[in-house]
Amino acid sequence: MIRSLRRVTDRRKQAHGRYGWLFNPYTGDELVAIDCETTGLDPKTAELVSIAAVRIKGDHVLTSDALDLRLQQPDSLSGDSIRIHRLRGVDLEEGESLQAALEKFLDFIGNRPLLGWCVDYDISVINRHLRPLLGFDLPNVSIDMAQVYQRELRRIRPHLEPHLGFESIAKALGVPVMGRHTALGDATTTALMYVRLNKGALEAG
Amino acid sequence: MVDIDLSQAPFSLLDEAGKSRVTNGVDMAYFDTGEVILDAGQSGEYMYIIHKGEVAELDTTLPDARARIGHYTAGDVFGAISILNGKSRYRFKTEQETLCYLLPKVIFEQLCDAYPTFGDFFRESLANKARLLVERRASDGVSMAGFMLARVAECMRAPCLANEATTVAEAVAMLNDQHADSLLVQAVGQVGIVTKTDLLNALILQGHERASPVLGIAHFTLVTASPDDYLFQALVSMTRHDVARVVVMEGDQAIGVVELTDVLSYFSSRSYVVSLEVEQANDLEALARASARLPELVRALMSQGVKLNFAMDLLAALNGRIISKAFQFLVPSQQQSQSCFVVMGSEGRGEQILKTDQDNALILQDGVDWPTCGDDMQRLTETLYMLGYPPCPGNIMVSNPEWVNSESGWRRTISRWASRRDGDSLMNLAIMLDAHAVAGNGQLLDGIRQHLFDSCSHDEIFLSYFAKIALRFATPLTLFGTLKRPAHGIDIKKGGIFPIVHGVRTLALECRTAPTSTLARLDALAAQGRLEKEFAADLGEALSLFAELRLKQQLARLDGTGKTDSDPNLVVVQSLSSLERDLLREGLHIVKDFQQRLSHRFHLEY
Repeated sequence: MIRSLRRVTDRRKQAHGRYGWLFNPYTGDELVAIDCETTGLDPKTAELVSIAAVRIKGDHVLTSDALDLRLQQPDSLSGDSIRIHRLRGVDLEEGESLQAALEKFLDFIGNRPLLGWCVDYDISVINRHLRPLLGFDLPNVSIDMAQVYQRELRRIRPHLEPHLGFESIAKALGVPVMGRHTALGDATTTALMYVRLNKGALEAG
Repeated sequence: MVDIDLSQAPFSLLDEAGKSRVTNGVDMAYFDTGEVILDAGQSGEYMYIIHKGEVAELDTTLPDARARIGHYTAGDVFGAISILNGKSRYRFKTEQETLCYLLPKVIFEQLCDAYPTFGDFFRESLANKARLLVERRASDGVSMAGFMLARVAECMRAPCLANEATTVAEAVAMLNDQHADSLLVQAVGQVGIVTKTDLLNALILQGHERASPVLGIAHFTLVTASPDDYLFQALVSMTRHDVARVVVMEGDQAIGVVELTDVLSYFSSRSYVVSLEVEQANDLEALARASARLPELVRALMSQGVKLNFAMDLLAALNGRIISKAFQFLVPSQQQSQSCFVVMGSEGRGEQILKTDQDNALILQDGVDWPTCGDDMQRLTETLYMLGYPPCPGNIMVSNPEWVNSESGWRRTISRWASRRDGDSLMNLAIMLDAHAVAGNGQLLDGIRQHLFDSCSHDEIFLSYFAKIALRFATPLTLFGTLKRPAHGIDIKKGGIFPIVHGVRTLALECRTAPTSTLARLDALAAQGRLEKEFAADLGEALSLFAELRLKQQLARLDGTGKTDSDPNLVVVQSLSSLERDLLREGLHIVKDFQQRLSHRFHLEY
């Protein structure tokens, strides 16, 4: 409720701005799989370390034309998260400023629907950074891969207790896990899972 | 974010920059079971690299049972030919859910331009692909592989030249100055050689004067090589002629000498040592010791990436020497010149690398007086068994009186076989056709072979019967689908080696070509215009490929690592690398093509 109100006001405000087109409904057949690596797990405090996005067109995952951004080192970059995503302060020296990165990201995704693993988390972190800089939240439709899988499994095999780890789902769908805990790797794997699920992997198997 | 194995061909032909262009340029796509990825006639937009899954290549113009012409699994590449030709000739259909990497046409074409070898990989015929494989193997092999590819020109030394007027004393001085072992004497229109041993014998034993001309002691029958020959071939001719140097000739000009010691400094493997041991053996036990070292030699040659036909040549020469020695030990010298010991079958063709069985026969001159012949031959067979040649299961050995006969007896037998044309007779004729004399008087065999040609080569009906055997086993191409389970394998002997060997044998019989090895027959047939040059070369390559695959399994079995209970002729496709699989597939295609030609030529379609 609050979110849709917010979207309406955002849309009014941006109607004649640079990003007005983002609020138009999407008519194409593409999706964008996204993933972020952050400094923590709490969407209220976590800061962005890297963002990746891969387009999906039909059966094809367009990895040749993917977006993989690294940001400047945020203040809260600490040992705990480095252990997961393995991006050290040094690795981020060449990184982009937050504003530049988000603008590139918006240009890349456009108004396509967003796909992600627990995508709500990624979107809320991005929104927290986006609102102060550009004054709106991401208006895109979002599809959460974890939920899609759960729903599909419940539809086809209601008696099965779904096992909802990233790796175990990848295995169930026969998708190779590529570069786990790098933004681009996770985004690509999620994209492959989606393509796979849409082709009826569960029915067949 | 792409993990393709880029260490296999064709990607191994790219450098780092090229590889990163591949990794950054590919897209990914999922295909369901039974989905058509690329249809016949469609234009090729991508080169596909399979990450997971299986894809079949179908020829839509053929009926269903024969339509499957290719099979690709993880790591294989397809679709490249479609890009090069503009459109696909075949239909590619998934057999399992398949995850592919897609390399767009544009990038593929850029790569072909930037790396000619990469592009060539897709354009080349089988022969060239096999060469790539060998060269690559050679390049990661050790020093000897370099030796194998070395030419005679790289290893020869400038000749020490003398003229007609040079005296013995001057010759010795020249040899000392130049630290050489031999000198060449140029006389009117010909070149002779004088070695240190010759000089020594001349001075001491024959009592020549120091001032007598060196021309008188020179030998004019030379073992020669051309500067473009492989060094290995020079070594083979040294082994064969039992000499320690070959003269390098260009036209009729001697331009250098290759000394054995020079070759050995290049090449510290065991082949010469073994052949030396064979030559020096003066009793059967020593001969058996030398003979037992052959498998070791084969393994050394194989691991160093020697091309199989050279290895076959060397091994055939060595086996011939061993058998001939054994013959000399056991047969009285008077009868040696009145009889001819021939090896037949694979040994006669010089294609038996490891000793698998002995197929041999004896031809006696008409009217020879040799009462103990039967006993002597029994002993010879036993001796060969002791030397490591297992007995022939079909009893085609000299211990069997049926395979010992006089010249006229052999002629009668051959005529009888040729008129009978039943299975056994045809088999016997095929074996006889490959006969190669290793000991005794070789002219006897030439006479018999002439008779064989005379009685068979014009008889079209006989030739049809003879050729039909080559079609007895279908090429295992259509079996690919059922080979997924690892327990099975394809029979490479029945499906690949036998059709080529026998088909070529039939053509050789028709054209009356004298050489017995399949590769030499192919050369002769190509020279006569009976086969196209390219096709003959492809057949030869296919044969060496099959023989090599089989040899690998035989060696593994000798090591005790391979499964000893399995047949070494069975090749399990899944255990091959993707390039080998690719080669095998193309090789079998060539066999199939050859069988079709045979059935067309000899009217076997019914």
